[in-house]
Amino acid sequence: MASDIGKVRLRIPSSIKSDDVVKVRILVIHPMERIERDKQGKIIERNYNYIDKVLVTYLGKTVASFDTTQNVSENPFFAFAFRATDPGQLKVTFTDTTAGKYEGTTDIKFS
Amino acid sequence: MMLARSTLVRWSCALTLVAGCATAATDTPDYSSVPAWTSRAIPEAQGAMRTTADGKREAVRYKGWTTRDFGAFRTYAYADTRPEPPVQRAVMPNGVTGDAKKGRALFLARAKGPCTGCHLIPGDDVWPAGSVGPDLSTIADRKLSDAYVYQQIYDARVVFPNTSMPPWGVTGAFTPEEIVHLVAFLQTLKGPLPPEKDPDRNPVTRTKPVGFGDNLDPTNNPAVLMAEAAEAVWAAKGPTGKACADCHEGGPANAMKGVAARFPKFVPAYRRVMSIEDFLAVHAPERTGTQMPAQSTTNLAMSILVKMASNGMPVGIDTSSQEARAALARGKATFYRRVGERNHACADCHTPETGANKFLGGRLLGDAKAGLTRHFPVWRTDRTEVWDIRKRMQWCMIPLGANMLAADAIEYAELELYLTAFDVGKPMSVPGIRH
Repeated sequence: MASDIGKVRLRIPSSIKSDDVVKVRILVIHPMERIERDKQGKIIERNYNYIDKVLVTYLGKTVASFDTTQNVSENPFFAFAFRATDPGQLKVTFTDTTAGKYEGTTDIKFS
Repeated sequence: MMLARSTLVRWSCALTLVAGCATAATDTPDYSSVPAWTSRAIPEAQGAMRTTADGKREAVRYKGWTTRDFGAFRTYAYADTRPEPPVQRAVMPNGVTGDAKKGRALFLARAKGPCTGCHLIPGDDVWPAGSVGPDLSTIADRKLSDAYVYQQIYDARVVFPNTSMPPWGVTGAFTPEEIVHLVAFLQTLKGPLPPEKDPDRNPVTRTKPVGFGDNLDPTNNPAVLMAEAAEAVWAAKGPTGKACADCHEGGPANAMKGVAARFPKFVPAYRRVMSIEDFLAVHAPERTGTQMPAQSTTNLAMSILVKMASNGMPVGIDTSSQEARAALARGKATFYRRVGERNHACADCHTPETGANKFLGGRLLGDAKAGLTRHFPVWRTDRTEVWDIRKRMQWCMIPLGANMLAADAIEYAELELYLTAFDVGKPMSVPGIRH
């Protein structure tokens, strides 16, 4: 599994028209390691690693950003919608707490 | 010329007759040629039994499943030659006064039937009721005698030999006294009924489930990701120094294209019918040395990976060999065989003439004749687990009140073969996603 870390799946509708509100589904392969606590509730020191920042850009401009602040789930899934005004690239960048950076892109085309 | 033609006609008649006889012969299941099979499943999937420290016999099953031993009731094992529970006429016991309130509690008790799994009765607390059996909301208006209603619950086969109603009294699921309470309760159910507040309460007007979206989308179905993780296993060399990839060239998507569409099939080397899951459990350790027991995570993930290579292709099992036809006949017999405390057959719930497309409690029953196999293994949203069809069959054994067989049992393989025959020509779509 480990070798797959950062593999991004990006799903958009098969047919998009100009000015449509487009629903995007993204999933990234990531272990999202948990913070573990002992019986007293103290954090057990370990090199935990989870995605804490998701940035979505469209035509070079930021259209959405997510701060997850904690380990949401293994292989986290995000969904959002945006208005497709022009054809161009949609890019999603994930950053984790160990400074790993993973990208997924798709081209928005009108049909 | 005329003579020649009439001879031909006569010959073709004779041929038809012979063919007809041959079909009839294989329709009668022959159990003599079924080999013994040692399960290659993980321990909790073998249908094993154990004795606890206090001397009680309990079943070894998956985590969270009941360990109750249903050993008193017959199973799907070919070696189990016990008959169905005997049909019994019953007389209402004297000296017991029926208590309708107790009867209603028994009717709803999940540890008993629950009767509401198949029958609707009035009440906002009745959820979720099924529609496999008759709606009993106004049964008392039919003015049936207490003795008749008692007999129907005790053993309905006295009146309806082919009923799906379990013989509750014969198997002891309900005591005679409890049945008296149930009768007393049913005799209070009189019309007219108040208007229904929630259309979903009544299984006839309930909204049918719509599914969970695209099952092949990895952002929607976690089982796809699980299968992709198996690509590492495909390439990894096992203890013998060989990997799957060493013999099957071109990656799983190419090497396995169309393979799964021909399974389950009779595999001469093992003298039995095998699904992809069964085959991997013996083939992988033999060739690569990597253990891949049935129901292990590796086996399930690899099975999905292999089956995904056939997605979109029509199911095309070959049942022309004598062995396959014999297996098919046995599989069909299993589908109609009554087992367990409930004395149910698969056919009670899964044919359009019986329960298929009706609700069993809150669950919509699948129709075997419309094809139930081509999306297995499935991601189960309620359990967040991948189940192949064998685990689904094993799960069916629990409400039937029958001990499950091993996941890779020949009995289940041949039942799967029979079920897959209804999927022939329909496109494969693995992994599925179901609740």
